[in-house]
Amino acid sequence: MTPPDPPRLAEWLLRRTLPAGARGESIVGDLVEDWREAGATPRATLRFWRHALSLSLRYSVRRPRPRDQFPDRSEHMFLDNLRNDLRYAIRSYVKAPTFTLIILTTLALGIGASTAIFSMVNGILLQPLPLPDPDRLVYANEVNGKGVIISLAWPNYVDWRARARSFESLANSREEAYTLTGVDRAQRLRGRRVTGNFFQTLGVSPSLGRGFTDEDDRPNTPPAVVVSDPFWRTQLGADPAIIGRILRINDLAHTVVGVLPRGFQFVRPYDVFVSMGPMAAQRNLLDRGNHMGFYALGRLKPGVTVEAAAAELQSIAASLERDYPNTNTGVGVRGERLADRLVTDIRLTLLVLFGAVGFLLLIACVNVANLLVARGAARQHELAVRAALGGGRLRLASQMLVESTLISIAGGALGVGVGAWLLQALIAVAPEGIPRIEAVRLDGAALLFALGAAAVCGIVFGALPAFQASAAGGQQALVRGRAAGFASRSHRLRRGLMVAETALALVLLTGAGLMMRTLHELTQVETGFRADHLVTTRFVLAGEQWTRPKRIAFYDELQSRLRALPGVTDAAFTYSLPIDGSNWNSIFIVGDKPVPPRAQLPSAAFTPVSAGYFETMGMRLIRGRFFDATDTATSPKVTVINESLAKRLWPGEEAVGKRLKQGWPETPSDWREVVGVVADVKLNGVAAETPMQAYLPLPHEPSESMAIVVRAQGDPAAAGPAIESAMQQLNKDLPLFQIRTMDDVLGTSLARQRMSMLVFVVFAVVALTLASVGLYGVVAHGVTERMHEIGVRIALGAERRHVLGLIIRQGLSMALLGTAIGVGGAMALSRWIQSLLFGVTATDPATLGAVIAMLLAVAVVACTVPAWRATRVDPTAALRAE
Amino acid sequence: MAAPAYLGEFEQLLLLAILRLGAAAHGLDIARELEARAGRVVSRGALYTSLDRLEDKGLLRWKAAEGTPARNGLPRRLYIVTPAGMVALRASRDTLRRMWRGLDHLFEETP
Repeated sequence: MTPPDPPRLAEWLLRRTLPAGARGESIVGDLVEDWREAGATPRATLRFWRHALSLSLRYSVRRPRPRDQFPDRSEHMFLDNLRNDLRYAIRSYVKAPTFTLIILTTLALGIGASTAIFSMVNGILLQPLPLPDPDRLVYANEVNGKGVIISLAWPNYVDWRARARSFESLANSREEAYTLTGVDRAQRLRGRRVTGNFFQTLGVSPSLGRGFTDEDDRPNTPPAVVVSDPFWRTQLGADPAIIGRILRINDLAHTVVGVLPRGFQFVRPYDVFVSMGPMAAQRNLLDRGNHMGFYALGRLKPGVTVEAAAAELQSIAASLERDYPNTNTGVGVRGERLADRLVTDIRLTLLVLFGAVGFLLLIACVNVANLLVARGAARQHELAVRAALGGGRLRLASQMLVESTLISIAGGALGVGVGAWLLQALIAVAPEGIPRIEAVRLDGAALLFALGAAAVCGIVFGALPAFQASAAGGQQALVRGRAAGFASRSHRLRRGLMVAETALALVLLTGAGLMMRTLHELTQVETGFRADHLVTTRFVLAGEQWTRPKRIAFYDELQSRLRALPGVTDAAFTYSLPIDGSNWNSIFIVGDKPVPPRAQLPSAAFTPVSAGYFETMGMRLIRGRFFDATDTATSPKVTVINESLAKRLWPGEEAVGKRLKQGWPETPSDWREVVGVVADVKLNGVAAETPMQAYLPLPHEPSESMAIVVRAQGDPAAAGPAIESAMQQLNKDLPLFQIRTMDDVLGTSLARQRMSMLVFVVFAVVALTLASVGLYGVVAHGVTERMHEIGVRIALGAERRHVLGLIIRQGLSMALLGTAIGVGGAMALSRWIQSLLFGVTATDPATLGAVIAMLLAVAVVACTVPAWRATRVDPTAALRAE
Repeated sequence: MAAPAYLGEFEQLLLLAILRLGAAAHGLDIARELEARAGRVVSRGALYTSLDRLEDKGLLRWKAAEGTPARNGLPRRLYIVTPAGMVALRASRDTLRRMWRGLDHLFEETP
């Protein structure tokens, strides 16, 4: 029987590291014999590996035996030196584990954090969109006189498309939510209504079937749908014969004409794209005054810039303004690169975080340099001896470089691990709806970044001690006198580094302080309603069978069923939720004031709500009354307005009893009488000013899309299933979506600020820790160096508290100088961070004061410990040591 | 060589193990002897580098012997303690003895 073989890889490792000849072979032989005698079991194999690792570690850090070393290697001088340097470096790091651990931790934190943030920046901001020629894609829409985006009126789009010469093609689309019926359980779909040239403009062709054509835009063409790859796979069973099948979308038969390729995404992960045909003949679509949520997407002709295209659209808009002054007065154009538009909201946050992490990385580097310089100073004697024995300066410097590069690479490798973990954490706390976040991962670019950061740390900051080492004067340093210039020079360098580190830490602390203040201010904002115990969800009554009377009846029935649920205090409906924002803004005129010029007509968020809505939300009535059961489909038209509208239109007057009318002066809409004024609620997030708002009774405006709000006695999240089953009993074809507590809605709206705050605070804590450790090290080193002098002072009668004061003063002088520089830096950087703040200015004196106090307090502690040690110096011992 | 080389505890144990094993002392046996008699598990890295160090100090020598199929024909090193090694061991033992003298009663077990 041939004996089994021991683990090959372990054997190979041994042959690489053990000495050649019988010396090494016999060791391998011993291991093999032991392994066989133990029965070659997995356990024995494990032991073989353990022995192999211990041997190769021992032999690779062991100084080569002079007798093994000698034969014919002299021609590989450089490699030999490198090998020896490496071996020496590993040995010296293993011998000083605490020092090594501190450096590795510092580097891993700095490189890890910056790699994680870089991955976010790279994935979201830098990577090109996964579409052909993405830089030629332009997103365009209209803005009103105040620069607010108001989407694109359909007739204006038709004119843009006919007149613009900058584009190869100009498509139009809007986001819509659909209900899919005719399946086991009705389902809500996220989708987009798109023009026939939409996919062609994007440069995407379906992997199955066809895209849309201009034919699909015509009102008499049968409705068609193109489905996304994930939807096709998960909901349609990846059926290859899906083309031609019928899907009932919003109760209308749509023919599936295509399946999009895997990985395709436009703005958000949509389930379906629906053709324009079914809505092409709608009267309100063809009204030039209606901005119904459409956004144009153009593909530029080669060589045309985004600016030129935007300018062309602007000039078209100007001529439309002349042709249709009633609807187009003050309407301008905003056009930008699609890639830029997608990241508008998050770009600044990411860049500021990237800047912050740059500071953290710098601090880490400075700290490492500090430690290496300290170590270099401690090794001056060793280096001097080596220099005296004929070690060339270059040779000694290269040794130091090898040491710092080695530790940087090890720190970089650890940093990649830390970075991968941090990135997971970041994605977990990232706000909902960050575009392209699913594409963020630790990829080759991130690894390259980590490697670069490690190399910079190693080379630039390793160069300091290396330079120092090469400058070590032979005899001078050999004489171990206290006055040796080398030591004090290195101490000066360390003090300088310390000042820089304190300054950097102060900048980060200021950022963290401002972010914390911002979040605090945001949570203190008066929202105008009681968010606790509220749960909300949405549904849509889509399709032709939902006539006005049917909708009104349905809402009545559902409301009484919801109110009857156990544990429910109250239930109501609204078209748009606070915080979440409104998508029905409209201009209006009032009855008792002169009509202003068209461009200056006021606009308000019009919001149909059911009776009981204000009570359910816990809103405050200022004047008049809430809606109630007397507001029916046939009762006089009324409205409840918010305080902002009342103050703006009727300052100092009684608003109740006044009249207003939605739309242009000539629009044939009803006049509504103001019957109540309610306190403002925050409509678009927490930070934005509350716009003017007019609430309408639901029976007068029974919208198809509705949000349910339910106030529960206990845990609001627990009420969700009860609401769902009440809905199911009433109509099984109406899926509920976005079931959230109002606290969640509030939390989501603060997610971006919360992420910034968390990241900044973590960075600042790390920075403060590093700075205090660094300060402690420098002061302690100073104390050791001046032990003799302190001894003399004490012997001559200096009191201990004077010594304490002396050392602390010296340490604090560094901290104070660093703080002063840091305050300057924070001021200089303030304008970058200002737009991320709320309720606090970037130069807020209170925050700065608190941050400075905190930093100095930590500095005092870091100085006091070594200073206290200095007071314990025994003068006789200190003097005798010389 | 004026004074005999100073021996660490582990070095002493190694040399004693070689003496106990006699002519057939090779690495694996030395490790097993230490494990059986001194009750300590020795990392192979420490074992062989210490043996090399003792060799450098001139306290032991080795010669290569033919390998068996059980060790894939790899050679085996047979160690013997040199006269200098014996001197060092004796010095260590004498030192210990001197230090122990008169202290044994402190450690005697009371039945």
